[in-house]
Amino acid sequence: MSDKRSNGIGWVFSGPYLIYTSIFFLVPLVASVFLAFTNWNLISPEYDWVGLKNFLKALKRPEVFAAFVNTFKFMALFIPVSLALSMLIAVIVHSLPRFRSIYLAGFFLPYLASGVISSLIAKGLLSYNSAFNVFLREKWGLDIDWLGSPFLALLVVVLMLAWKFSGYYALILTAGLESINKEVYEAAMIDGATSWQQFSKITLPLLYPAIYTVLILAVGVTFGIFTEVYQLTGGGPDNATTTWQLNIFIESFTNLRAGYASAIALIASAATFISIFIIRKILELWGKRHGWG
Amino acid sequence: MRIKKAGMIFLIFLVSLTFLTGCRDNEEIGTSATGVTTIEFWTAPNPPQQKYWEQMAREFEKENPDIKVVVTPMKETPSSEAYVISALIGGKGPTLAENISRGFAAQLAESRVLEPLNSLRNLNVIQSRKMEKTMKAWVFPDGNQYVIPVYSNSMLVGWRIDILREIGYDQPPETYSEIIEVTKKLKAKYPDKYFWAKADLADPTAWKRWFDFFLLYHAASNGNALVQGNRFIADKEAGMKVFQFMLDLNKEKGLLSKQVKDPFETGIGIFTDLGPWTFSYWKEKFPEMKLNETFTLAPPPVPDGMKAEHPKTFADSKGIVLFSQKSEAEKRAAIRFLNWVYKDHKHDLTLMETTLMPAARDDLLSNETFRPFFEQNPVLKPYAEAVPDGVPVMANPKYNHIQTIIGQQAFNQVVKGKKTADRAWTDMKKEIEEVLEDE
Repeated sequence: MSDKRSNGIGWVFSGPYLIYTSIFFLVPLVASVFLAFTNWNLISPEYDWVGLKNFLKALKRPEVFAAFVNTFKFMALFIPVSLALSMLIAVIVHSLPRFRSIYLAGFFLPYLASGVISSLIAKGLLSYNSAFNVFLREKWGLDIDWLGSPFLALLVVVLMLAWKFSGYYALILTAGLESINKEVYEAAMIDGATSWQQFSKITLPLLYPAIYTVLILAVGVTFGIFTEVYQLTGGGPDNATTTWQLNIFIESFTNLRAGYASAIALIASAATFISIFIIRKILELWGKRHGWG
Repeated sequence: MRIKKAGMIFLIFLVSLTFLTGCRDNEEIGTSATGVTTIEFWTAPNPPQQKYWEQMAREFEKENPDIKVVVTPMKETPSSEAYVISALIGGKGPTLAENISRGFAAQLAESRVLEPLNSLRNLNVIQSRKMEKTMKAWVFPDGNQYVIPVYSNSMLVGWRIDILREIGYDQPPETYSEIIEVTKKLKAKYPDKYFWAKADLADPTAWKRWFDFFLLYHAASNGNALVQGNRFIADKEAGMKVFQFMLDLNKEKGLLSKQVKDPFETGIGIFTDLGPWTFSYWKEKFPEMKLNETFTLAPPPVPDGMKAEHPKTFADSKGIVLFSQKSEAEKRAAIRFLNWVYKDHKHDLTLMETTLMPAARDDLLSNETFRPFFEQNPVLKPYAEAVPDGVPVMANPKYNHIQTIIGQQAFNQVVKGKKTADRAWTDMKKEIEEVLEDE
């Protein structure tokens, strides 16, 4: 097949995606850059050019600063919890002699669950008069304010996200585990390696591409948290669970300040790109130590 | 090879077509070649209201075959306001929409997407529906009227009268100090019960302030507006009393701001804000909740020394707006539809029978049409009596921001006992003034 023909087929197949991305990502991105320098609310016939005012205002606001800090708090909790859980699921499922795909499909189901429904279930489970809390109070005298304490509210959101995404990440990790040659483990066993040594010296380094993907996806999730906090905490208590997305939604659709919301969105994008860049660099350094990259 | 290629092209065409089909409108809005004008009416996303408007549209179309009214519930993705705004941005807004609060209407009016109803000469709803007095509370700061209120839920409070009787009270307390006494007695007898158990008390979401802060503040301030135009005109004394009341209740362990399922119905809390929409829910889920047996209704409590009879209260009231970007033919059709709905008092009777919410009109208790309804639903009579005391949402485009600040800086803080009343007021005032000054 000639290069020209091969290129043409490539364009045909990637064309729909490129068109979709241009319409739904590129155009809105350019529009939001424009909006961020105006005070437009998107429905009014009039707006003014306000220069950097929206950005300067956003940088001074406590809820924007809280969203910035909270993202790293979410990251610090969500990444280890979801990675550990998904790794556990992947290792267990991988060790099963049969029905692996059925188990994986089962763990994947929470990923498809509606965030609104799972938030309502969490609300019910954590309510003061739920069987769980009544048990804690009557058995151990523990009266826990799950959504009223800043750390616990954050933890509840993290656990909900980990429940949702671990099955999905486990799919990626299982694919990675399946690609590791069994002969490597056999050789290690002949050399007397323990199970832990096999896991830490063989599985983890050889899973690097899958772990890399999972970590980048997990970082992305922490920048996009919305439904759980919108439904459960409203960003409280005292901005402890407020997020970029919640701020952007409130400013655009309740305060009708689309220009200001765009400025927050652009600041959030910059924070996301910088964070992912740093994490990628750290991961690549780790990968290089094990012969990747 | 050629067959495969052709098959691939056909597949791509089919997939594209499937996506594009989703973009087609289900109904053509506007005037058709046959002279039928179609208008779109968005209703609140709850089945009784949708049912009512569908019935109205069907009956109207029978008498007016040249107009078609397409009734669609607005989605809550993630809120009905966001849905309306998204539609307007995309140029797909309806002709008429109900479920619009005064605050949201102020935001829309500021963006000039609403038709001032007082400028429409052919619209005669206000006179035919007998709602002149009600409409006075709906005049916007620019002197115009943008909303026809459909219902007016002047909020009352519910008391667990059975529990009050157990601690020695036959009537609910009316003032703050009486409530503190009740709370002390309640905690002495039932340490696990609370005066007010509601997670929303500590939630900063803007609309939640309507049912706690504004409920108490309007009663304490005789309906003070809090904000007028760009000025903060709040009644400091009344506001401070409300905050101090919350602090006193917190001190007596009378508030529970954790997530609680049905706290009033299960008796964990003995007091709650109560709207008429609750009773259809109780009928189905809590049939044991009986007026004057398990619960009773009262106006919101007031500070000591204030007259407790007919205090002002927050009115959860929403109404219909007409969008200005529609064609003249659609606007004319919309006006004919509204005139038709409100010329017959029986339509408001149908509204109340379907939704159990008091129609926003001045003659609810004096009009013979409605007498049998209130006789059959005595629990709704106090709501009808309280309609003149109701203060709707502030008509300020920044109402959401202001209400978020009230929660974050003041109300949520005093509920948790984290700020003094003075500090809460000062912080709240400072931040609201900054928002009001902001262009």
